[in-house]
Amino acid sequence: MKQHLGRQSGVQSVEVSLVEGRVEITPKDDGKIDPAQLIRATYDSGVTVAEMQITARGKMVKDSSGNLALQTAPNQSFAILPNEKSKGLDELAGSTTVVTVHGELYKKPPGKKKAPPSLPLRLELLETPKKG
Amino acid sequence: MKVKKLTLLLLLGATLAVVSPAQIQHIEMRVEGMT
Repeated sequence: MKQHLGRQSGVQSVEVSLVEGRVEITPKDDGKIDPAQLIRATYDSGVTVAEMQITARGKMVKDSSGNLALQTAPNQSFAILPNEKSKGLDELAGSTTVVTVHGELYKKPPGKKKAPPSLPLRLELLETPKKG
Repeated sequence: MKVKKLTLLLLLGATLAVVSPAQIQHIEMRVEGMT
């Protein structure tokens, strides 16, 4: 799985902890990494992703449905699930302010032992976003 | 003088934009079924 993930676009390095069942991925600086592709690649290698968390920088935008989203690249954005931590981000939508966020992008539905990942991904903030 | 200040400001802005691009910085996954 480590080699398979390491071959994916935008991946700089992959660290796997067998004991903890944890995989840490460091992206390249080219900004071409695709979390959905990583989940699919992990699933294809016979391992189920229970949870994915990301730390990302980007600008707040409104997507085509009017929902708040974090834009991390011109062609990549993640819808934000409204919660306590996301309060106040609406005001930044459309501005040039860059924020750094840490949140959960994917969680396996409970009960299903080995289900294909459900997409699209939505970002649930776990920490209050920091400006800059 | 004003032109100099403006140029410096633009250079600083461009430098900051290069240093701090918007992007995914780190990904962590918890996985099941790994041997």
